[in-house]
Amino acid sequence: MGVLLLAGTRKGLFLLRSDETRREWELEGPLLTGWSVFHAMQDPRDGNLYVAGNNFVYGGTVQRSTDLGTTWERSEGLGLPEETGLKLEEVWHVEPGHKSEPDTLWLGATPGALFRSDDKGETWAPVLGLVQHESREQWQPGAGGMCCHSIQIHPEEPKQMYAAISAAGAFRTDDGGETWVPRNNDVAADFMPDPFPEVGQCVHKLLLHPEQPDRLWQQNHCGVYRSDDRGDNWERLEGNGLPSGFGFPLALHPREPAVAYVIPEEGAENRVTPDGRLGVYRTGDGGASWELLQNGLPQQAWAAVMREGFASDTLDPVGIYFGTQSGSVFVSASEGDEWTEVARQLPPILSVEVGEWS
Amino acid sequence: MVVVRIPSLLADQAGGQGRFEVEATTVGDALRALPVADLLLDERGELRRLVNVYVDGDDARRAQGLETPLDGVQEVRVIAAVAGG
Repeated sequence: MGVLLLAGTRKGLFLLRSDETRREWELEGPLLTGWSVFHAMQDPRDGNLYVAGNNFVYGGTVQRSTDLGTTWERSEGLGLPEETGLKLEEVWHVEPGHKSEPDTLWLGATPGALFRSDDKGETWAPVLGLVQHESREQWQPGAGGMCCHSIQIHPEEPKQMYAAISAAGAFRTDDGGETWVPRNNDVAADFMPDPFPEVGQCVHKLLLHPEQPDRLWQQNHCGVYRSDDRGDNWERLEGNGLPSGFGFPLALHPREPAVAYVIPEEGAENRVTPDGRLGVYRTGDGGASWELLQNGLPQQAWAAVMREGFASDTLDPVGIYFGTQSGSVFVSASEGDEWTEVARQLPPILSVEVGEWS
Repeated sequence: MVVVRIPSLLADQAGGQGRFEVEATTVGDALRALPVADLLLDERGELRRLVNVYVDGDDARRAQGLETPLDGVQEVRVIAAVAGG
């Protein structure tokens, strides 16, 4: 079984193939030319590829491939009902459903929208409990629009899920999406008059740890946070080696709940990597301290990595992957200790995910 | 019968077909008959802002939009607005 890297770019999808050593990579693409691939992933349950793809003329679509990208089918009827007073703007993130629901997928979109499919992405229905949430008037769009970009499902409790929207905050459902409660306690919104509102936080990425699913991490506009109680309370983690709390992407170690990776930027007003170099920061102690990883990364760089542009695999040692807005893909087959640039001069990279091929 | 032509990006989404012959009395009927109707019209059935439609060379928006009649019309051409980067 080989490693398949899906690099969604502003101008199509690229696939990179390697074996488990992750040393040599073969580039294929672009696929779906003309489409901005905000997010592409391989569903681990059946191997299908899914793309959240947008075109500035023709709108947002979900595209599915059952043959690793040779042919694609477009979802039908994607949109928001008139009663919401909203129209679909862009699709942002497609997430496999719980393993007990093999035909189910979830889709995050702008404006602050979540959709559910129960037929492997052929059709989608809006999740009105979130789309019409009572706090919606207090939400506001971030620079990328009011995007629902993070969808996480508790591995043992299929009805418990999280969705994060920029800038509305993190929400949890305990009933499969019928009702949602904000989960932003102690998460700052420094751009608001009240810096700790119930909603309105600008989450940039939220992930749940698969081996310790009560533990959540989030990279926010205003800091890096960890929760150990399903989002009820959050602890701010920057400092102690992390040069900035501002950033977009986040990656986790699949087996070690205390290990996380971020790629910070200087700040909201200067969105480039700090200190004029590209660095990945790793914590091994739940965020109490951070270590700069730069071996093999360019030491003169003003790069940026988008919120979907960071991923990890499940091999041993774990592979860590990211793509930059300047079109480079970096791979570490050593959990971040050593990095190799495996592709360059691609269009701006919007997302990176790991799958497999045979 | 009217001929509808669509750009190559849309043809890719229609199995490679860029020319269609459809029975339609209005521009809206003609667009809704296409396998890429959802890419031309939004969820309210309205023409997407950057999609332009020409009816025998005339901009449908300057006529009656989706209600523009197709009596005697030979060709409907879909063209993306000049935009983007």
